[in-house]
Amino acid sequence: MTPLHRLPRGLAIAVAVLVMTPLFTASQSALAQGSPQKGGTLVMVVQPEPPTLASYQSTAGPVGQVATKVYEGLLEYDFQLKPTPSLAQSWTVSPDGKTVTFKLLPGVKFHDGKPFTSEDVQFSVMEVLKKVHPRGVNTFRSVTAVETPDAMTAVFRLSEPAPYMMMALSSYESPMLPKHVFGTGDITRHPNANLPVGTGPFKFVEWQRGQFMRFDRNPDYRKPGLPHLDRLVARFIADTGTRSAAMETQEVHMGGFNAIPPVDVKRLQALPYIGVTAKGYEMQSPIVQLDFNTTRPPFDDVKVRQAVAYAIDRKFVLDNIWFGFGRPATGPISSNFSANGLYTADVKNYNVPNGVDLANKLLDDAGKKRGADGVRFEIVHDVTPYGEEWRRFGEYTQQQLGKIGIKVTLRVEDVPGWLRRVYTNYDFQLTSNWIQTLADPSIGVHRLYHSGSIKPGTVFVNSSRWNTKETDELMDKANVELDPKKRAALYHDLQKRVVEASPLVFMHELDFVTVHNKRVNNFPLSPLGLYSSMDQVWLAK
Amino acid sequence: MPGRQSLAYALRRLAQAVPTVLVIAAMNFLVLQLAPGDAAEVLAGEAGSATPEFMAQLRKSFGLDQPLGVQLLLYIKQLVTLDLGFSFRHNMPVIELIGSRLFPTLLLMVSVLLISVIVGTLLGAFAARNLNRWQDNLISMLTVLAYATPVFWAGLMLIVVFSINLGWFPTSGMQQVAAFHEGFAKVRDIAHHLVLPAVTLTMFYLALYTRLMRASVLEQFSMDYVVTARAKGLTESQIARRHVLRNAVLPVLTMAGVQVGGLLGGAVVVETVFAWPGLGLLAYESLFARDLNLLLGIFFICTCLVVVVNLVVDVAYSLLDPRIELR
Repeated sequence: MTPLHRLPRGLAIAVAVLVMTPLFTASQSALAQGSPQKGGTLVMVVQPEPPTLASYQSTAGPVGQVATKVYEGLLEYDFQLKPTPSLAQSWTVSPDGKTVTFKLLPGVKFHDGKPFTSEDVQFSVMEVLKKVHPRGVNTFRSVTAVETPDAMTAVFRLSEPAPYMMMALSSYESPMLPKHVFGTGDITRHPNANLPVGTGPFKFVEWQRGQFMRFDRNPDYRKPGLPHLDRLVARFIADTGTRSAAMETQEVHMGGFNAIPPVDVKRLQALPYIGVTAKGYEMQSPIVQLDFNTTRPPFDDVKVRQAVAYAIDRKFVLDNIWFGFGRPATGPISSNFSANGLYTADVKNYNVPNGVDLANKLLDDAGKKRGADGVRFEIVHDVTPYGEEWRRFGEYTQQQLGKIGIKVTLRVEDVPGWLRRVYTNYDFQLTSNWIQTLADPSIGVHRLYHSGSIKPGTVFVNSSRWNTKETDELMDKANVELDPKKRAALYHDLQKRVVEASPLVFMHELDFVTVHNKRVNNFPLSPLGLYSSMDQVWLAK
Repeated sequence: MPGRQSLAYALRRLAQAVPTVLVIAAMNFLVLQLAPGDAAEVLAGEAGSATPEFMAQLRKSFGLDQPLGVQLLLYIKQLVTLDLGFSFRHNMPVIELIGSRLFPTLLLMVSVLLISVIVGTLLGAFAARNLNRWQDNLISMLTVLAYATPVFWAGLMLIVVFSINLGWFPTSGMQQVAAFHEGFAKVRDIAHHLVLPAVTLTMFYLALYTRLMRASVLEQFSMDYVVTARAKGLTESQIARRHVLRNAVLPVLTMAGVQVGGLLGGAVVVETVFAWPGLGLLAYESLFARDLNLLLGIFFICTCLVVVVNLVVDVAYSLLDPRIELR
């Protein structure tokens, strides 16, 4: 490449950086340029190393990044969060919402050559996902039977309508397993757990623990001519600095879910061969938050909670601690759900310039007067043990709450200790946290606010223990409401009530970042991003 | 017959080691129970969500619903039959997991140990022979620098210089994953990947053994037998080679034997920085995952390793210095 060619590209990057609004709409680097080239080995870095390949019983993020290359689901999703065909070529929902019929794609074969049929769908849903999948137990709770009138038809019988189920049928949420492989033996300790056999574009070859997983092209894939890649390798590099270095030396081609931390993204972005995108996470929608223990003083008082919500400067935290990768959050449902109308911004707004003044006033009103030393009361703040950003966020919270007379002591533990404290013992006052609101509020959001989700020992459910009869009812209705407009109205009402009561402080919608070599093309093509099969990804020579 | 004698000695020592190892295993088990949180919580935590039914089911299948005493007895019973148990997190037997990671660890450890002991001994002896000359000063300065440099920083700096800037070595891993070499090319590939992690870890131990050897040689040179040897008319280099080195190397060996355990621990940092797929990294990860079966298995293997290495060191003593008897 001559220097002349280099200049416009450099400019383009500069422009891209300048207009890198939080939505990353300007980052076009990952879009297809020219026609796809065949072959090559794509090396992605996955962090941390997945504990298992059994995506039917572990929803850990890294598992999804690898298992989705081997297993497929009944459906995929587009950027409007609408279902699109995958193993099911069409589907119909009965008017009462209690019968869902899937027409399967004929001629699909598993990697061992056996055909994929409705028997496999029945087995996967009824015997595996409904029983051992952490979220499947919930997603398929209303499914009473899957009938198989013929090999290419699967009929789901439901005890009540379940609109959220249609959002949870991707290969990541609900992989379809071969009955002839997994049908025998104990599913929770199956010998094929780490020898997956699926219908996907890549076949599992080997897993060298601590090093890599290797997947080779499935020559009999159902989509002719795909996948473009010959091979896909997932590498595991525990050290953050080394991951960034490997990206810089082009030993690895891509890494997502913040495998390259925001602080390094800024540096790597300047390299001519590195591209960055925040697309492909629209079905994760993580929200950073501060959780109150609403059952104990001082945070049992809504005024005190609102005061904290006013005092924290979301924009400051976003720009300085998360390097701008996100948007200030308004409430419990991510603005990604504007795509299907469930989101509303019409809620109580805590993002105001005079937040600290309002907070001081609220605390005065709540009877928390300042003492002689200016301190109203003292609390312990638990910091999420997920890395550097969180510690800095904790330090910011400490300083900022100091301004409104709350003296904060920080406490940092390791992950298991912190989980036990927050979700089993409820032995906390204020903790930072982040929650994936997932593909549908019914799956990702209800668990944080419903009284039925106050379950000691179960993690990432309602640990603030706030609930009201009205909000419980709204969520119960939204679970079974089939009319999208009515369902949206229920959620708008829910958002207003939750934000008003402020059982958590909604900080910002976190943008995960995928850093990739510019040789990588056609990524991402769906909101599932790294959780998609990547059959159309190609590597420029 | 010394050969037979040392074999009997080795067997006796190994027999004595069995109760030691079991007691250590029981202590490990109990100490690890003090850590709050369990494997089920971590698994569910990584998943980002789970139902109570799912958590209860996990705990039951992990055996976490049993009383602590029962869990301990079951574990010791398993150990006696050399069964290290099952890692629920990885969904495979612990012994297989450890087996797949043992070779990289041993490769790294043995390289580091051999290079640092051999080169350290030579450098230390050389420094002592050139006491207070520029060679000695240079070696002392370099060793202090190497000893004082944090391992992770040294590793990252080597990556910046030799991988990113010069492009001589890969940043991480044990083999080139895009190529998947076979046969001799694979051996070369692994050796190529081994250089940076081995150099990083060697720096620290090399410095240590050099210092130790230097002091030890100086001490030996002040001994009466050296005076005798001089009186016999031996040259200084003959004295050094035949008498002093043999005696001086004993403390270095002792130290190396003791440090095998520490080397496994110190390897965690290097394994992390260079993504070297060793046991140290596995232990580190399983601690944060509260994968106790796996962690206990690794501890067990390390205990055995330390016992064996110390036995080897003791036998080596008697070879170097026949006055030391094995009994």
